[in-house]
Order: sequence, then structure tokens, then C-alpha cells
Amino acid sequence: MPELPAHSPTVVADSNVAVARGVTLGYGDHVAIRPSDFVIPTGKITAVIGPNGSGKSTILNAIAGLLNPTTGDLTTFGEEPRNARSRVSYVLQYTPVTQGTPITVAEVVAMGRYPLTGLFGRMSDKDRDRIASAMRELAITDLAGRHLSELSGGQRQRVYVAQGIAQEHDLLLLDEPLTGLDLVSAQAIDRIIHAEPERGCSVVLTTHDLEEAKAADHVLLVAGHVVAQGAPDEVLSMANLREAYGLGALHEEDGATPHFPTEHHHDH
Amino acid sequence: MDLIAWFTDPFSLGFQQRALVGGMLAGLMSSVVGTWVVLRGMSFFGDAFVHGIVPGIAAAVVLQINPLIGAAVAALIMIAAIELVNRQTSLSEDTAIGLLFVGMLALGVVIISRTPTYSGSLTTILFGDALGVTMSDLLVQTVLATVVIATAIVLYRPLLALSFNRQKAELLGMHPKRTHAALLVLVAVAVIGSYQAVGTLLVFGLLIGPPATAALISRTVPRMMLTAAVVAVVSVWLGLMISYHAGTAGSATMAIVPIVIFFIVLGLTRLRRTKPAVEVIVHA
Repeated sequence: MPELPAHSPTVVADSNVAVARGVTLGYGDHVAIRPSDFVIPTGKITAVIGPNGSGKSTILNAIAGLLNPTTGDLTTFGEEPRNARSRVSYVLQYTPVTQGTPITVAEVVAMGRYPLTGLFGRMSDKDRDRIASAMRELAITDLAGRHLSELSGGQRQRVYVAQGIAQEHDLLLLDEPLTGLDLVSAQAIDRIIHAEPERGCSVVLTTHDLEEAKAADHVLLVAGHVVAQGAPDEVLSMANLREAYGLGALHEEDGATPHFPTEHHHDH
Repeated sequence: MDLIAWFTDPFSLGFQQRALVGGMLAGLMSSVVGTWVVLRGMSFFGDAFVHGIVPGIAAAVVLQINPLIGAAVAALIMIAAIELVNRQTSLSEDTAIGLLFVGMLALGVVIISRTPTYSGSLTTILFGDALGVTMSDLLVQTVLATVVIATAIVLYRPLLALSFNRQKAELLGMHPKRTHAALLVLVAVAVIGSYQAVGTLLVFGLLIGPPATAALISRTVPRMMLTAAVVAVVSVWLGLMISYHAGTAGSATMAIVPIVIFFIVLGLTRLRRTKPAVEVIVHA
């Protein structure tokens, strides 16, 4: 069913693609994640959930090697995250595009092949196939010649995800991939998220939506530190959610699942 | 007057031809590197940078050394000082650029005011001396233009990724810090290679005007670069011709033309806007 080729099983004999032990993460003097342990299991979908400013994006930045831990030990594919970048594709939460910038959708998706082609390498047939497949899967082929500034928010997010899956990867990181999207875009991206493990890839996504987190295989609940991790049913207990979100934040009605409204924000 | 002569007379003499070639080389390298300056939203930096090299040229005039060396040293000092302010304070980069912009320009005027030919030297630095371009100037310009254009093309992928998103550029292995530094060097070389023909004040017109015009009508960056180069070359040719027939300053006239072309193209694109606007709404 997935159009993209399955990844070669260079992938990972280990059970975890990323392992953090006593990791502290921050920007300058600001500590975003206090000393925490967590793992990202191989071939699974991991959801990172928590309130605004709880450190969800920070965890993704660290796994991708954009941010070094100030204390503790973090490895991605058994090495320092910066050295594992060739195996990680990261779809950022917010990519501002200057109005009128003459970059077409096709060029943006093709950037996903830059790590392989480098500065001068020509695009091979394989590169072109991979780009075309990614665009087909995200239903953006007909937008190939359009500028990003001419797209809706949902279309643009599909372009960024297409760029992400056009890149060679064993681990796909998605920072709030479904927040504030129209139904068509959300369904297209959700389909990709669930197709990735079938190709032998691991997925980590951040979310505000409890239902999205429940649909994952593994959950990290964060609130300035990793409050809990494991299977969704165990992690998303009322006690854990109260600890993460604060006592006043939840309104449990007759045992119903608490629901958090989705909202767009910029998380660190 | 004979129509052909109207076009050929302005370039019948050697110094006029050298002015044309010098201006075109300045236009070519400025517009190609200027494309990336416009795409990265660095126009203010470009403006400040162009003025920032004035003290270097002024010092070279006073010390009677090659102005290219003075300009290169001033460019380095300016970049280092902006970086220093950025790293040591929480002020925005704009503030650092503004501080250096005023400081360096004022320093240049102070230095040049010590020369006996204060007024003439300052005018030459600021407005250039297109008709005074020599063959050896053209040789240097050709080398610099070749280096700038080749490098701007070679660095196409890193520069495109950097223009798209700095973090993404890093994730794609496109080394955004080194690429940004390379772009600063390219701007410096383009400005140094152009100021003789059009002056530091007006080189900015060629750095920003043609790429801004090209951005209005280009769908891709390579086309934007190509269009900007064509606009720049046409601007230089048209500017020198107008200057000859109207008896105006060559460098200043050359620098005005791309700005005028920008507003003409802007007007034309606005007139054609109705149809594409409907398409966008339908697809949104």
C-alpha cells in the first residue's frame, strides 16, 4: 500500500532508536527539560504530549541533534544525535515563508534529497522517484509549480511532510504535524504517520490531542520533565495528567476521557 | 539626429566603452549576489555594508594604498563588530547593523576630510567615477565578477536551504553558519568590485533593485537570478545612454534606472493581478 520503498534493514537491531539517561535540556539559562530518562522504541509511533511550553519540541530538537543536553546522556541510533542526522528526518513545527519567495513546492520537497546529493550531486532517477512518490502520497502533485505563499496552511504542512519523507530516514520526527489542519490534510498526514512503521521506520510526533496520543504505540508525557512514559493506557492516567497539566486543568465528567482543545502555538 | 547614432554615440569613445563594461560587470555580480540578499531579507544589512566600507577606501586614499585592500579590511571590521554586538548583547541584529552603518560612514567622512581634495574624493567614493574606469580596473572587476557569480551558483543548494529555513538547512547538512559567512563574503566582494563603477552609495541600487524587480515576475530562484542580471545590464546601458543625452551624472543615472524599472514592473504586475488572484482563491 505505501508507495515509498521500504527502507533497507540497515535499520536497527536495537529495541530503541533513542535513549536518554538523566538528560537536562535548555536554551541558554532557561531549562526546558529537567533531568529525565526516556526511550524511543524502534519501529513504533511515539507521541510526546504535554501542556504549552512543557518541552515537547525541545525533546525533538535534542533527538535530531539540534540541541545538546546540558547534563546526562542522549543517544540516537547509539551515537551522539548530531552524528545520526543522516538517519533522521525532522518536520519542523513552524517554517515561516516570506511572501513572494520564488521557491516552488517541487523544490521544497526536492530539498529532502540534499543530504544525499550534497552541494553538486545531480538528482538520480531514484531521487526523482522518491520526490514524486512523496508528493503523490501527500496529494500535492498538482501543486508542484505553486509557491508556498500561495498555499493554505494544510497544503503547506503536507508539503513539509512530503519533504520529510522524501529524505532518507529511519526515524521521522514530526512537531505538531496535525495541529490546526483541515480534514483532508490531517487525514493525509495521519496516513503517512501510520504507514511509516510498516516501512521499518520509527515515528515521534508531538501533540496536544489526547486522542492522537492514545492512537500511538508509546507515549511520553512531559511537563518540564518526563512525567511518565510507556503504553498510552498506563501513561495517560488521570493521576499522571493531573500532575502534568495541574489540578485545575482537567474536568473529568462521569469518567469521560478528558479532552484538550487543539491550538496552534510555538513550543520550546 | 540619426537614430542609430543616438544609440551608438554614447559609447563611441574608449572611456565610454569602459564605463559600459565596468557598469555591466558591477551590475552582473551585484544582481546575482543581491538575489540571495533579497531572498534572505538582508537588504538593510546590504545597505549598511555598502556604506561600511567607506572608511577603508578613505583610509586607502589617505595612505595611498590600493582601495580594494582598504575596502576589504573595513568589510571585515564591520562584520566582526556586528557579530560582537550580537553575541555580547540581547539587542536585535538590526540595532547592531544600524550602529555600524552610522559609525563606519561617519568615520569614512572624518578620514577623507583630512585630505586636501576632500570634496572630490568623497564624491568619487560615494558616487563612483564610471567614466574614469581603466583597463586594469576592468581586469580586476572581471576576476571578481567571475568568482562571485560562480560561487553564488555553486552554493545554490545551501543558499536556497538557508533562505527557506535556517534550522532545516542545518538538518539537511547544508551548514547554514558557513553558508551565511560565505554570503557575507560574496556581498563584500561584489561591493568592492562595483564601487569603482557606480560608487558605494549607488552600488546598493544594483544590489537590491534588479533582484527586487525580478522577484515580482520570477517563479524560481534561477529565473530570478537570470532576470535580475538582465535588468541590471539593461539598467547600466540605459543609464549611461540617458546620462550622455541628458548630461547627468553617469553613476547616479545608472543607479536610478533599476529603481524606476522596479516601479514600472510593479505597476504592470498589479494591472495583471486579477486573473491569478482568482486562481489562488479557487485552489485555497
